[in-house]
Amino acid sequence: MKLTRREILGSAGALLVAPNFAFRAHAEEPQKGGAMVMVSTQSPRHLNPAVQSGAATGVPGAQIFASPLMFDANWKPHPYLAESWKVADDGLSVTLNLVKNAKFHDGKPITSDDVKFSIETIKAHHPFTTMFEPVSAVETPDEHTATIRLAHPHPALLLCLSSALCPIIPRHIFGDGRDIMTHPANSNPVGSGPFRLEEFKPGQRISLVKNTDFFIPDRPRLDKIIITISNDPNAILLAVENGEADCYPFATASQDIKRLQRNDRLDVTDKGFEGLGAINWLAFNTKKPPLDKKMVRQAIGYAIDRNFITKALMRGVAKPQRSPIIESSPFFNPKIPAYDLDLDKANALLDQAGHKAGSDGMRFKLTVDYIPGAPEQQESVAQYLKSQLKKVGIDVEVRASPDFPTWAKRISNYDFDMTMDAVYNWGDPVIGVHRTYLSSNIRKGVIWSNTQRYSNPKVDELLGKAAVEMDFAKRKALYDEFQMIVGDDLPIYWINALPYHSAYDKRIADFPETIWGTMQSINDTYWKKA
Amino acid sequence: MGVADPAAIATPEAISPLREAWTVYRRNVPAVFGTLLLVAIILFVLYGTFIYKGDPYEIVWAPQTPPGTEATVPLGTDNLGRDILRGLLKGGGPTLAVGAAAAIITLVIGISLGGVAGYFGGWIDDLLMRVTEFFQVLPALLFAMVVITLFSPSTITTAIAIGVVLWPQTARLTRAEFLKIRELEYVTAARSIGARNGRIMWKVILPNALPPLIVSATLTVGVAILFQAGLSFLGLDDPNTMSWGLMIGTNRQYILDAWWPVTFPGIAIFLTVFAVSLVGDGLNDAFNPKLRER
Repeated sequence: MKLTRREILGSAGALLVAPNFAFRAHAEEPQKGGAMVMVSTQSPRHLNPAVQSGAATGVPGAQIFASPLMFDANWKPHPYLAESWKVADDGLSVTLNLVKNAKFHDGKPITSDDVKFSIETIKAHHPFTTMFEPVSAVETPDEHTATIRLAHPHPALLLCLSSALCPIIPRHIFGDGRDIMTHPANSNPVGSGPFRLEEFKPGQRISLVKNTDFFIPDRPRLDKIIITISNDPNAILLAVENGEADCYPFATASQDIKRLQRNDRLDVTDKGFEGLGAINWLAFNTKKPPLDKKMVRQAIGYAIDRNFITKALMRGVAKPQRSPIIESSPFFNPKIPAYDLDLDKANALLDQAGHKAGSDGMRFKLTVDYIPGAPEQQESVAQYLKSQLKKVGIDVEVRASPDFPTWAKRISNYDFDMTMDAVYNWGDPVIGVHRTYLSSNIRKGVIWSNTQRYSNPKVDELLGKAAVEMDFAKRKALYDEFQMIVGDDLPIYWINALPYHSAYDKRIADFPETIWGTMQSINDTYWKKA
Repeated sequence: MGVADPAAIATPEAISPLREAWTVYRRNVPAVFGTLLLVAIILFVLYGTFIYKGDPYEIVWAPQTPPGTEATVPLGTDNLGRDILRGLLKGGGPTLAVGAAAAIITLVIGISLGGVAGYFGGWIDDLLMRVTEFFQVLPALLFAMVVITLFSPSTITTAIAIGVVLWPQTARLTRAEFLKIRELEYVTAARSIGARNGRIMWKVILPNALPPLIVSATLTVGVAILFQAGLSFLGLDDPNTMSWGLMIGTNRQYILDAWWPVTFPGIAIFLTVFAVSLVGDGLNDAFNPKLRER
């Protein structure tokens, strides 16, 4: 394990050997054993992803608990706890055939009844209510067969059965009648996945050891995964740089990413975050003049230079994002209006909307809020808007919130003109996209609902149809049309995909790069031979 | 003034204390240097924007252009491509204003509470001093952060937060002066001719207690400017008001790649606080006869 790439390059001509080395590395027999130390800034409250969303619980949760299915890097489902599955022709039921030899960490078998219990628990308690909302019943004809009955077809169901979204939790532990939200086993779970919990020190570390009785033979390859939690980004960078930690999965600041990329001991990838689909955007309060006028919103769109933000402000680490659906998703429609920078058009639209410039060149005032604590993605862009929108006569005041709850309260009570926001797609539009645009989801006081108060009956209709359309091509056509409409109405100006990057030791092979990245079981990852 | 001048013989004590202090002060080389530096900084901030015009928020060049590489942006640009020299000029005003405003707030609260405590003594003194001590033992930065968090960040909140945090020292100093002066003959004289408490405190004691308070207030300006920079560094500052602290706060994450957006406002803060401290020390020497021998 001590042979670094630099040493190999030093021993022969770099250009000749590098591709050859890459080939050999891939061809070699995967090694078993070893520990991988991950560092994270996020501290989970507990480790039960059935009742808690987010990556802090999701990363360790996906190691402790297995899910019925897995997704690969191409959005395709693969067998996991379910060795096969069948979607009924009418789309109203899905049957899962479970593997026979799967056991919980306490030795009890994983049965279809646990699948039923897990899905019912998630439906009742997980914050993503649309995941299993159509599930009317889960039938268990035998120990290894579970049939999910649906009130209407649910094209996102297979995705909802994957990764940290659907951990299979033991009924004999969590079904004892105590409140699942505060269940003591949430912090000391009996799991079903490739790793069992060894130690959980909230805010400090989570250590996981290999489940030697795992139902997939020869997996996991690693003996141990240790997640070290630190809220000091500098300490995290130093730990990764000097080899105290082997991987850092959620780097976002350009300064950090560039620094990690410069280190020749590390590989840095932006793969593994397609499922999260995190979009950084500027939202408009579409019920508040003058932003209630489509032309004003479009003018602001034309006045913003998305390329400047991604290339200069975020220094090239972020990718532009033009649509409500993350551009790496198969549902993304590249024909959506992009609103490339055009100040003349922006001025013309504002004039046309009846907002002539005054003698000082200014038309009107707007405020822009931002989520505190993410300077590069949020505050810097807000500062940029202040500078940039002045060019078209809009006087922007940046409104600082001292903490997250203050911001969330202002936005969810519609006390804003414009705000920077970051919202996640979570794999399927039904989970993470519909909520922002459905007029039925205008819920006062609820953050990340339709806080723009955007309402378009045609959009409601299209999303309603897309939520029950099982045919991929037809569903995509519905989302294509939806994107063209919101792209024209522009309740939100989408700016960029959050530049999540993972940095890991070059000697680690098969680092998880599926759509869920480290939020799916890390079964295949191994240390290359020394 | 000739020796034979009868007026001088009649009133040998004619040199006023202020005049005497000034005589001492102007011989103090560091103090004079500090004064000149401070005047230069204030002129730079007040008149610089008339010479080097422009909106400090305007994006004028590529982000993080190093100083000296582009004639239009002599000190380079920050993370958004804004001109740092414009920022320094425009940001100086609010920075100095917050420092001065915080010092005034400190003086007002400190003199009121300290004066009442020192003059009346007894249970009023005990009560007010316990209150003062309570504020004194609160961790200053944390307390200021709480104040700002309660009333969302703005220049006024920042000035109030700093003032509210720094006043106890002034209060204790005022109390000590009032305790000492209230026993002196001229106060007794004022009382004996029927002057009321308010008049004695305001017209008789306060003018005589002022010199150490002026020194303290001057030093407070320096502390307040540093404090504001610290709060900006933590992101607790008004993003709509350019200030030196804000420039440091927004650019510090890039310090390894671009040192200049942080360094220039840093130097400006250092020079200002340095100048204010020299002036404060000079005033202290000038007003305090015991120190004059040094």
